Amino acid sequence: MAHKLYKPVSLLDTWIQENNNLVNKWKQQEGGMNTWNQDQSNLKCLSSEFHKLLMKIQGVPLLADHAQLELTVMYNACVYSVALSQFSEAELLFAQATERVLQMRGEKPVTSDPPVFWRKIMKSLKDTDLNASIHWLLCLQWAVWLATCRLKMILELQEELSSALDLLCTEVCDDRRRKGKSPDTPLLVLDPRRLVELLRVCTLIAHGAEKLSEGESSEALNDLQNASSLPAPRTLVAYTHLLSGSCFAHMSHPQMALQCYRKALETDCHCVSALYQSMLVYRQLRNTPAEIQALRLLHSALMLPSATEPVIAGTHLLSQSLLLCSQSLSSFLSVPSALSVLHSLALKCVLHGRVSEGVEHYLDLLAVLHSEDQHQVSSKAPHLPRLPELYLEAGAALLMVQRPDDCITLCEEVINTTQDLLPERVVLEEPEQKGEAINGDVCAEHEDKVEMLLWSGAAYLLQGHCHTHLKDWKQAMTHYTRCMNLLMKVRFKKIGCQPQILSADMVDEQGTDLCVLQRLKGLSLCGRGICFIQTDQLREALRDLQLSLQAFPECVGAGLWCGEVLWRLGRRQEAAACWEKTWSFTTQSTAENIRLYLQEPQTGPLLDSIELRQKIQELVPT
Amino acid sequence: HKCLVILCYMDEPELLCLTSTSAHSDTDHCLLSPFLSMVVSLESYIGWISGESLAFREEGVLSMLVTDSVLMTLSHRDNTWLLTVYKMTKQSSSFEMLRSCSVPLVSAGSAKENRSLERRPALICVRSGDTPSTSSLSSGFLSDRHVHLEPLLFKLLFGVDAALAKSPVILCGLPDGRLCFLPLHLPGTQLRVLHSLEQPVVFVGASVAVETGSGRALCLVAVGEHGRVVVIKTCKAASEGGSSHAGFTEGCVPGPVVWACVGQQCLYFSTGSDLLTLNLSEESDGTESRGWDKEASSKAAAGLQSPTSLNVCRLIALTGPTHNATGDVELLGLSVRGQLQRITLPVGKEDSGLSKSTPMQVSRSVRDLVSAIGDVCERASVLKSAIKFKNQLLQHLNQVLNISCLLMGWTNSEEKPIRCHAMTSWSRLLQKDSLNLMCVLDNSSPYFLEQGWTLSTTVFPLSHSHTPQGERSSTNFLFPFYNLHPGGQLEVSLPLSAADDTSFPITVSCALIFSLTSLLGEKELASLHNVQNTSVTLPLNTLTVDWLHALQVNSTTTHKNPTPQTNISTTADNIQAFLSSRGNRCLKKEEGTQTEKYSASVQVSSDLLRDTLVMKSLDLEPQAPVDVCVSLLDWLLSDGPGGVKRRHQGDQSVLNAPVVHAQGPSRCTVKLTAKEQILGFELQQPTLSLLLGYLPDDLTLSAKYLLKICGAAAKKKTTNTQKWLQLDPPVLEDWLKIVDEIHKMERLTFMLRLQDELYMMRWGKWISFFKYN
Repeated sequence: MAHKLYKPVSLLDTWIQENNNLVNKWKQQEGGMNTWNQDQSNLKCLSSEFHKLLMKIQGVPLLADHAQLELTVMYNACVYSVALSQFSEAELLFAQATERVLQMRGEKPVTSDPPVFWRKIMKSLKDTDLNASIHWLLCLQWAVWLATCRLKMILELQEELSSALDLLCTEVCDDRRRKGKSPDTPLLVLDPRRLVELLRVCTLIAHGAEKLSEGESSEALNDLQNASSLPAPRTLVAYTHLLSGSCFAHMSHPQMALQCYRKALETDCHCVSALYQSMLVYRQLRNTPAEIQALRLLHSALMLPSATEPVIAGTHLLSQSLLLCSQSLSSFLSVPSALSVLHSLALKCVLHGRVSEGVEHYLDLLAVLHSEDQHQVSSKAPHLPRLPELYLEAGAALLMVQRPDDCITLCEEVINTTQDLLPERVVLEEPEQKGEAINGDVCAEHEDKVEMLLWSGAAYLLQGHCHTHLKDWKQAMTHYTRCMNLLMKVRFKKIGCQPQILSADMVDEQGTDLCVLQRLKGLSLCGRGICFIQTDQLREALRDLQLSLQAFPECVGAGLWCGEVLWRLGRRQEAAACWEKTWSFTTQSTAENIRLYLQEPQTGPLLDSIELRQKIQELVPT
Repeated sequence: HKCLVILCYMDEPELLCLTSTSAHSDTDHCLLSPFLSMVVSLESYIGWISGESLAFREEGVLSMLVTDSVLMTLSHRDNTWLLTVYKMTKQSSSFEMLRSCSVPLVSAGSAKENRSLERRPALICVRSGDTPSTSSLSSGFLSDRHVHLEPLLFKLLFGVDAALAKSPVILCGLPDGRLCFLPLHLPGTQLRVLHSLEQPVVFVGASVAVETGSGRALCLVAVGEHGRVVVIKTCKAASEGGSSHAGFTEGCVPGPVVWACVGQQCLYFSTGSDLLTLNLSEESDGTESRGWDKEASSKAAAGLQSPTSLNVCRLIALTGPTHNATGDVELLGLSVRGQLQRITLPVGKEDSGLSKSTPMQVSRSVRDLVSAIGDVCERASVLKSAIKFKNQLLQHLNQVLNISCLLMGWTNSEEKPIRCHAMTSWSRLLQKDSLNLMCVLDNSSPYFLEQGWTLSTTVFPLSHSHTPQGERSSTNFLFPFYNLHPGGQLEVSLPLSAADDTSFPITVSCALIFSLTSLLGEKELASLHNVQNTSVTLPLNTLTVDWLHALQVNSTTTHKNPTPQTNISTTADNIQAFLSSRGNRCLKKEEGTQTEKYSASVQVSSDLLRDTLVMKSLDLEPQAPVDVCVSLLDWLLSDGPGGVKRRHQGDQSVLNAPVVHAQGPSRCTVKLTAKEQILGFELQQPTLSLLLGYLPDDLTLSAKYLLKICGAAAKKKTTNTQKWLQLDPPVLEDWLKIVDEIHKMERLTFMLRLQDELYMMRWGKWISFFKYN
């Protein structure tokens, strides 16, 4: 003891001291509750400190007695580089380290191919004191490969990595013994065993996601099952469940998939993507109540202020989000924004009979859009329809719950907005031709104009429906007429032909502008026809209804009312035929694909089919 | 109300926000923009911001905008523009980031343009005219940065969705030349490019243009740094089939535009050298009446090109025009020097564009303008030349001042960097020889001696007591000169023939005189009442020209017999003068005994001469044999103290005999002889005397006595006893020792015989000789 007192402080000791001081400093900071920004600046600061220390140490040639220290400091410096996503810097350090180690061993430096030199250095250092230290560095290299999505490299060095794994795990007891002996060993900023555990799980997950996106679900499932058995942070376990669920869904085992998603949610309540994925499964299964329920949950989960990620000791420096950044994985984890979830929830509700609930959701949605403080941190575009369409959908929903006044107000908004912008005349081109159109700008502008015209027309149509509902026939007729006037501005153009008036047989595809146009025409004519009937102008009514059937043959209302007019006019056979024909294609199967505001109104004067059938039956004997 | 004080610290680009209480929230919001740019320079004030007031930290913030409850910052990071929206919570002063949109930077490439990226982007908030603003800010037409745009134009530019959502739109003019917009409340929208000016956008604003009173702007204006102006307004449908659309009218105004603001109908912009106004309503008339075709657009562009000058220069910032009580339009401007200026435009200035003028008026006004331009041009050139003249004058005076300080600073006249030296020379003109003094002014100072300097030389005899009246007779010569460069010399020659022999030695005192008259002219000088001394006299050094300098040496080759032309008395006076002038250097003077000729001799220790003159000449030419007498004469005639030299004539530069015949200034003949003497007489034939004992007859008895003793001592030394047939020659010291021993013996003998007088007679010469050796 006595001679130790007089020993001059060696450089080695001061370096060890410096390293340990830095590590302790970090450990203290880690304990405190810091914001992300503070953490980041701390990281930067410590990173530069470690790099400085490393530079000092590397000022002397690598000798066996301080190789241990140098590799430790290098490990610490590299950890910070990786934590700050400076991967190229880290790789540079690896290359430096291996070169110096090989020099120390008196061997020639090797090629820059990473697997080759790692293999060589492993062989060279086998059964030396430095074996463990060089394995730590290898683990960091592994982390860099994982973070930069170079899974191939990892596969290539599989053996070495697994040996590293074994080595580090067996070292546990070793380590403890050594700790007891000498208090002045250089400390590590991050326990390599923790790192290795994390890396193993993350590699399996990344690999699984890769396989899954390539369509090899069973292999992926294998990986993920392996991963789920490993000790890992909560979030990662949830990921394994989520991805296994996706595998099952892919292999068309929806129930198994749902089980997995449930497990994922149970493990980590912040795993929102599990909710989303299960919603998709329910949609696939056509289990609408469950789907709506899932959407509702998803929305409320998204509206929660996202809680901070739980901090797991020892892996705080290198988080899983840093290591898992592959494209395929993030596509599985992505969730649409709260607004679009709310919209699809509202739409689902309205379409599936929960109209009043749907209306509430629509109103919520509009309120959010008008409020100034949306929690819209993410800048990615939600898949929302254009705003006028949302208005019209909401209006249609309001009409369904018998609130025509509110509907009129909404439609008024749309009309006012589009009013000045409507073109005097517009030519609608054939879809094929439109697709080929190169000058996108002009095309977009033109499309915009057509859309605006159709929105405006739909708004008039809805207003007409509202007035019909209020039995204000005159007003209704005015609005239907306005709608038709607007629609008359559209000319259809086929390649090589002159613009022409449309006929029903040209509509072959649903959802196109052309289809919408024809539907609008049919519905407005039908509506006006019904108004004429109510005001006992049967001839005009018949004309309109027949025109309506021409434009939109599947229009049920028009068919039935047309028959009614014919009946009233005494043309009973024709009326019966008309009714029969209408009933023959009443399938309503296409309802989901048609926009809400283009569906036939369920309000207003209705004809009872049973009465009509009775009428026909009365007619047959005569 | 809370107001925001923003400091942008450019060296370490971080935005610091702090809140403090203030009375007027409306004005504060409007004032933010000039404030931001001003505060940038006040880096030192960073000190008083405490950490508590830090609202949020963001790097590279260039511009910011506050709407109702939202704060937007536009920052430049790496290669993107980042628009970040923060929400201000009403209760506390905390900020919460709502969203951030980025748009990639259009790389400018060159470093110069990249620097321009650091300029402040223009940010404004545009609302549709039919949407009421929720906050207290809404009171019709707002400040520059919150505008209500006509609904149709709003819809055309920013889409139906923004109009339906009643969302304000943030319009930003980026330094890379693009106009981008972002609907604030629409979810998921990105920054979209509206237009590109292709030069840094200085200003984006809205103008009411034609329609007044509605409070809605009918057009948007964007101004680029190099003068490109874009006016965006609605174009009504021209034909049946078309519909209204947004029209972009581009024009050019003279750049560079430093700052711009927009009034009801006019755009005001400052180019740094002038404040100009551009009438926007004029342009709108053209487009509205003619519809949108090419002709109209070109006409509109032409209409944009004629801004009116308001003749206010050096403005770097402007605030929007306001109408004061009398209906005048007022602008507030901040000048480069930090002066706040209120600029009042004449009544109806804004409306002037609307009134149509007749062609007659137009032509007349054109003529007026042309003549006005001519006047201005003339005046400008006059002013320019006056300024140039004054600059030159100042420069000149500065030089004069420098030189004065320089010369005043030196107390010792010998070391002054500007000084004179002189040289005498004889010249023969019209059968008459005349003596000239060549005076050389040497400028070794680093300054120019420019126009206005005069060299003044005053010549007067040193010994003025000889004039019978007792007054000082002096002659003054003035030599004005131009430009004397540093290191240059000015040679002037002045005649000395007027001075006769008696006036020697002559003192020439030199001075530099500077007179303001040469610089300013009599008239201007007269206008300066307070100036008493219009000239400055700076004494230089003083030169002395003595009689020796004035000697005209007769050349030895063309030996002519000089005939004395003056009477004896004058010559005697000359010698008298000569003796008196040289008096201080004489060791001993003796009057000659001859009656016809006057002669004077001066005894100088020959060793002293050897030490000074011969050693000096040996330094120069070590090989040449040196005669003390010759070099003595040479020194007398050539070198002189006080910077005056005698000019050598012809090949007489080296004297080859110890005799010089010369003519004095008043034609008297002078013979200068240098002889080396021992014991006061000259031994003609030393060999005879020594060896054969021949002694000249004219010697006194005592001289003969002494000579014999000296000879005996020498013989003893050389021939007889001591050094005969020896390798080393006899030395002077030995001889002196022997003579001295004899002298001591003699002295004892005489003293014993009590014959002191005889001793002094016989040995006096030796004693004096020995004393000086």
